[in-house]
Amino acid sequence: MSNLNAPILASRKGAGKAVRRRPGVGKSVSVALLILGAIGMVAPFLWMFTTSLRDASHAYDLPPQWLPTEWDWSNYAGAVTGPVPILRNMFNSAVIAIAVSVGMIITAPMAGYAFAKLEFPGRNSIFVGLLSSLMVPAQVTIIPLFLLMRTFGLLDNPLSLILPGITGALGVFLLRQFFLGLPQEIIDAARMDGATAWQTYRLIALPLAKNAVSTLGVITFLGSWNAYFAPSIFLNSTDTATLPLGLVLMLGPYGAGNVAQVMAATTIAIAPALIVFLVAQRWIIASLTQSAVKG
Amino acid sequence: MTVTAHKTAPLPAPPSGRGRRPAHLSGARRREALTGYAFTAPTVIGFLVFVLGPLVAALYLSLTKYNILTAPKFVGLDNYARMFRDERLATTYGNTVLYVGAAVVLINGFALLFAVLINQRLPRALTYVFRSAYFFPYLVALVYVSIIWQALFQKDTGILNYYITAMGGERIDWLNSSEFSKVSVIIVDTWRNVGFAMLIYVAALQEVPKDMVEAARMDGANEWQVFRRIVLPMISQATFFNITITIIGAFQIYESIIVLTRGGPGDASRSVVMYIAEVAFNKFDMGYASAIAVTLFLIIMLVTMVQFRLRKSWVNNE
Repeated sequence: MSNLNAPILASRKGAGKAVRRRPGVGKSVSVALLILGAIGMVAPFLWMFTTSLRDASHAYDLPPQWLPTEWDWSNYAGAVTGPVPILRNMFNSAVIAIAVSVGMIITAPMAGYAFAKLEFPGRNSIFVGLLSSLMVPAQVTIIPLFLLMRTFGLLDNPLSLILPGITGALGVFLLRQFFLGLPQEIIDAARMDGATAWQTYRLIALPLAKNAVSTLGVITFLGSWNAYFAPSIFLNSTDTATLPLGLVLMLGPYGAGNVAQVMAATTIAIAPALIVFLVAQRWIIASLTQSAVKG
Repeated sequence: MTVTAHKTAPLPAPPSGRGRRPAHLSGARRREALTGYAFTAPTVIGFLVFVLGPLVAALYLSLTKYNILTAPKFVGLDNYARMFRDERLATTYGNTVLYVGAAVVLINGFALLFAVLINQRLPRALTYVFRSAYFFPYLVALVYVSIIWQALFQKDTGILNYYITAMGGERIDWLNSSEFSKVSVIIVDTWRNVGFAMLIYVAALQEVPKDMVEAARMDGANEWQVFRRIVLPMISQATFFNITITIIGAFQIYESIIVLTRGGPGDASRSVVMYIAEVAFNKFDMGYASAIAVTLFLIIMLVTMVQFRLRKSWVNNE
């Protein structure tokens, strides 16, 4: 481990000494480094946006203009009326992502609750079996899944992506973690008052898990919205394609497509991630990091 | 319902340790078990149909010759033997291992560096802006960021080469040379994933007790010693997690290469997953493709298990 990070740690050593002698200098060096990194992270998105507002003939103008030189929205109109039905693709992506996240936020909390709070024979072995599926890469199951979908006539059909997506071990794991932290007294009290197991879950436990469930919904939505591998194999016409497939079609082989329009479409495609980011960043960061640091 | 359950007694008797509870609850306990099965049923069915079943089927298919049109023909370990003679497989696996190594070193190195920098006492707004900027690419589909980057990587019109030549360098053929096509894939992969790993490190760094660090400083330890002897061991669980997920992620690298280089030139940047998809869905050689996929599964499982083993000796669980 120390070998892997040796160069970086070595440079830290120098920085550390500077901090000790002249705190101001060390801190401004690190802020400068952080700013440099942040520019590197943001610049590609900025270029995408300004290019989307420029006439295609100026898309590759050099030196690059980092701020919009013109506010020409025609590339957006061009992107959605072009040969690739981007709006249709976006609708397909939305249908699949919504179906998958709704399914997931129904099935995963139920199973997570059962694994955390209900007693039944085989509970732990079933849970461990489920968790082991996190080790199975999608590439291994894709061929049998393809054959399965083909047998049931579901190729080129959104159901081929929805059905495998509505359950999953990761969501069960996250929700189980949450329900384990829920005091048993709350559950027992409800049961004492005569609530059935379902009522206890639905009326007491689930409402308390609101944040965890929302986070799971958002993560599942984005995962589906961003997916490429399985859709590229199950869907094979432009009308059923999801947005990532549509954009790759639009880009064309060797990036030959109209760059300004491609960037306009990409800007639209990134919008959900941006919205999620602005609204739910805090939750997502908290839930993702918690499972790693404490899990 | 309860009566039937009593008569047939399908479930093992509850452990005697719970005998303290009144006897009439055993019906309730049975109902609880049934509820447990009902609650987990959708997930378990999904797991059987879409994960375990296909996994077993993949293992079986890997022992057959199957082109979709005629029934699978059992060929034993032929597909596995064939892999040793397949030069394209060697190339694509070699590329993939390079991507994995680069991901582990670069993603974790940069993530740890930025995490340590960001974890200093900076103004809150500044911390927020940095954290957001580094994390955002992780939320955006790899396809989309790759579409942006392939434009930046263009040899004659791309921004990267503009700045390189402006500083007196030579134009680089980022997407079409056999060396730099791999570098481009690595750059995009690192750029997109560094923010997530950084957040994991930041969360871990915040759990390091400040008084412990202060006490070490009082005892005359320099910053490097504090970091090496106290901070690094305390965040080993986060390091463990990050290394595992970067390895697993990089072994599956796929769509960024499709967008950036299409695997080219030749197979110079092709990953093993791209090769699997090509063998399975362009050549319809399902048996051989399954065998390759099974090796990928075994590698990922092995990595995960080795990491779990190491974790025991390695992770400081205080």
